[in-house]
Amino acid sequence: MPAFAAKLIRIALPTAALGAVYLLALDQHAQREEVRQAAVTLTPGCVEKLARYDLKPGERYASPYVLQHTGDKTALRGYSEEDVRAIQRGCNIIDDTQGTLAAERGRERWHAARFIRGSHASCDHCHQGIGDKQDAAGNRLKGSLGLGASWVQADMYDRFTGLLLPFELRQMQCYINSSNGYKPNIADDVIRDVTAYSRFLSAALGLKIANHYEEQGIDEIAASDTLKQGDDYIRGEAIYKEKCIRCHGPQALGTFADGRVVAPALAGPNSWNMQSRNYFYYVSTILPGFICRNMPLGQENTLTNQECRDIAYYISNLPRPAGDKQGPLIALRQQILMGVLPPLVRLTGPGPAGSPPQAQARALPQGDD
Amino acid sequence: MKALALALKSPALLWRNGSRISGHLIVGLTLALVTLPQAVAFSVTLAGVPPHFGIYAAIWGVLFCALLNPSPVFHGGPNTAMSAAIGVTLLPLAPPFGAEYMGLALTLGLMAGLIQLLFFLVRPLGRMLDLISEPVINGMICGIGLFLIFKSLTTFGGLPLNTEVEWPLWIAWHSFLAVLEIGNLQAIEVGLVTLVTCVVAQQFDRLRNWAILLGIAAGTLWSQHLSAKLGLQNTLIEQIGNLSSIGLVWPSRPLFTQEAMPDIVAMVPGAVTLALLGLFQTVAAMRRMSRKVGGFTDSRKAIFSDAVTNCLLPFLSSLPSCASFNRMWLVHRLGIHSRITIAVSALLLLLLVLFFAGVIAVIPMPAMAAVIMLLGANMIKWQDIKPHLKSRGEATVFFASFLSVLFLDLFGAVVVGTILAIAYSKWEQAHPNISLRGNVLKIRGNIYYGSLPVIEATYHRAIDRLDQLVIDFSECNYIDPEGIRWLVGAKAGHKVGLIDRRSGEDRRIPDRREGEERRSGDEAAPAERRAGEDRRAALRRRTRDRRQRSEF
Repeated sequence: MPAFAAKLIRIALPTAALGAVYLLALDQHAQREEVRQAAVTLTPGCVEKLARYDLKPGERYASPYVLQHTGDKTALRGYSEEDVRAIQRGCNIIDDTQGTLAAERGRERWHAARFIRGSHASCDHCHQGIGDKQDAAGNRLKGSLGLGASWVQADMYDRFTGLLLPFELRQMQCYINSSNGYKPNIADDVIRDVTAYSRFLSAALGLKIANHYEEQGIDEIAASDTLKQGDDYIRGEAIYKEKCIRCHGPQALGTFADGRVVAPALAGPNSWNMQSRNYFYYVSTILPGFICRNMPLGQENTLTNQECRDIAYYISNLPRPAGDKQGPLIALRQQILMGVLPPLVRLTGPGPAGSPPQAQARALPQGDD
Repeated sequence: MKALALALKSPALLWRNGSRISGHLIVGLTLALVTLPQAVAFSVTLAGVPPHFGIYAAIWGVLFCALLNPSPVFHGGPNTAMSAAIGVTLLPLAPPFGAEYMGLALTLGLMAGLIQLLFFLVRPLGRMLDLISEPVINGMICGIGLFLIFKSLTTFGGLPLNTEVEWPLWIAWHSFLAVLEIGNLQAIEVGLVTLVTCVVAQQFDRLRNWAILLGIAAGTLWSQHLSAKLGLQNTLIEQIGNLSSIGLVWPSRPLFTQEAMPDIVAMVPGAVTLALLGLFQTVAAMRRMSRKVGGFTDSRKAIFSDAVTNCLLPFLSSLPSCASFNRMWLVHRLGIHSRITIAVSALLLLLLVLFFAGVIAVIPMPAMAAVIMLLGANMIKWQDIKPHLKSRGEATVFFASFLSVLFLDLFGAVVVGTILAIAYSKWEQAHPNISLRGNVLKIRGNIYYGSLPVIEATYHRAIDRLDQLVIDFSECNYIDPEGIRWLVGAKAGHKVGLIDRRSGEDRRIPDRREGEERRSGDEAAPAERRAGEDRRAALRRRTRDRRQRSEF
């Protein structure tokens, strides 16, 4: 009899545990479905952006932007209510990845912050203007990493590995490298909604599939695009102190105001890692390209190519997390450097000119970026 | 083998041995069915080559190993760590699934095979592999068990694989959350049906050998039921798919061209890693499982069989092969230890792939994932962990190797565990038992460069106090040249005398020391000697008892 009882327990316990997992899965699925069906509370940036492109459910969709810029009145297939909600959620994720503007941070952003190690990274730090940066006249800007233009280049061969990467996998690279995080599952809503939003942008801007547009990706700056003075850490530091330190802080650790990121970290635990292509020693053309075309905000394209490369070189010399593939020893070294260097520099180096960064940050206009 | 030959000759014998033969067949079929999804998964998701690479490794690799390796519990075939190493090595060199990539994969396998052959030919190199201790291996096994569970989570939930290999624990947690939140509920149902069926069937002696087959059958039936009710396009349950394009033999040639030379040179470190990964697992798994069934196989024979197998496999479109912990565990659990069974499993897999590709095609992947999870869970056994927790050294080595599998990789686990194990044994050796009674300084243990500072500390404290000191090293096992020089130097100081109460022969044969010592006791006081002997005898008894209590 005791043997039989033991057998019964050995069957009942695992079965009960598996049943509990199944019930939990049912519950979680139901919750997800609820969020999928619920009306979306847009961030202020998204309210404006989507209203401008006249997103609403309907049989046909005609983009006001296309009409205004090309005079083309062709109406495309419209969006269902479900599509509209997906696009709205995607826009929210791009604008506010960490969910600081949401009532329920995790749920409303599909837990996007779960896949990011630091507390700063948000998609629109790089993909500015909620993935659709334009000047006052509504012209799209060269090298501004436009998401619509990226979507129409749906599958791209990766320049470094030769792998064919669909749009979804390229999003994963953002999570791994630029935000120093983890891959979401490719079937996750967080990927699907961002794809829906990017696809909507391409329709709203009238972009044609498989075409290359100059706002797609980075306008890379190689050493050959300069006067070949060599990249200089000291020059970079000087320019950084002159032009960047006001927002990004004395050691590029980023600045906060009212619990929101004013300027993201360019170094330290909240920034991209040493295997990101933003890292100058890994790929030396991408970060300068980003800086030249997108920084400083409101004064884009004012820095020379050489200055951009110098700044990028300086930033990349500041301590940052190791890449996942570099192994535990380098990760440990970088953790120690990130812990030790900033206080040391604060103690020994000359203090930043003027007021402390917090106060400066508050004085800044509260833009999207 | 003899039984099989006889049985084939006489129908009467066949009848009598029917149950044994059917036992071989069941175990062979189970092994074949368990190897199949692993083969497909390893080649496609880890190594970046088409599925037939893994399947041929599961056929020819297993068959060659069964023929060449005399161990009755050895099961070769495709391996997680080796497949992952191939992917990691080749990804920077060529796009996966391309002709060049496949050629390079074969070249890499051949290079690894040749390096393994070197380990067979150079005896000390092969002997180095024996330095992996049991806690290291058990730690690895437990780590791999957990790893298999984690790795199968996404397939279990019908989700695309997360191919990220870094931070496995964190990825596993993410995968678990993903399964709960966005997993395919139908796939989860199929997996659960499989798991529950296996768990129930395992509890009954008659069904134990059938458990996994029953589980797969139940899972397949449930998935067919769901597909019939809802339509496969709605359930979206991934199935193994049709393998009918795979033939009997698919000859291939490794890529060795002038243009590929730079890539081949760049692959050399990868080839060394691959060779070592295979050999470490083979030697470790074979030793562990042989001890479990109470047998012994020379690890050189395993190295030879692995090396030859891996030199042949690249010519048969196959991934390299090495021992598989999880499948050997399965062989052991199914209770049949025979090379025939393992060869039968390879041949059955070949037959299955050749003639029943249509039937295999509908087996759902979640059911396969469930089986792999069950294998992983069965690899973690409290009886194997418990003995290591009794000694602090072993426990440290065990946990270091266990955690290294989860935080580094298999290779890291071997390196970390082995270094720790060697460090512990060295630490023991470097701390001899030193006692000072009267003016006799007795050293039990080794006198060598590592233990000298410890001995010197006591020696100098004694020599400062005493006019005359006797150093007794009759219970030293080993004195190295540095130790001899130190003893000579100490004796030259005129205050020190040396004694060794063993005769010349006994200095070399420590086994007979006890008896001799009883006969020649002149210097030390008899009472003191008896006390020492009693102590030693008690210690011996304790050790023996402990050895009997633990099942090793």
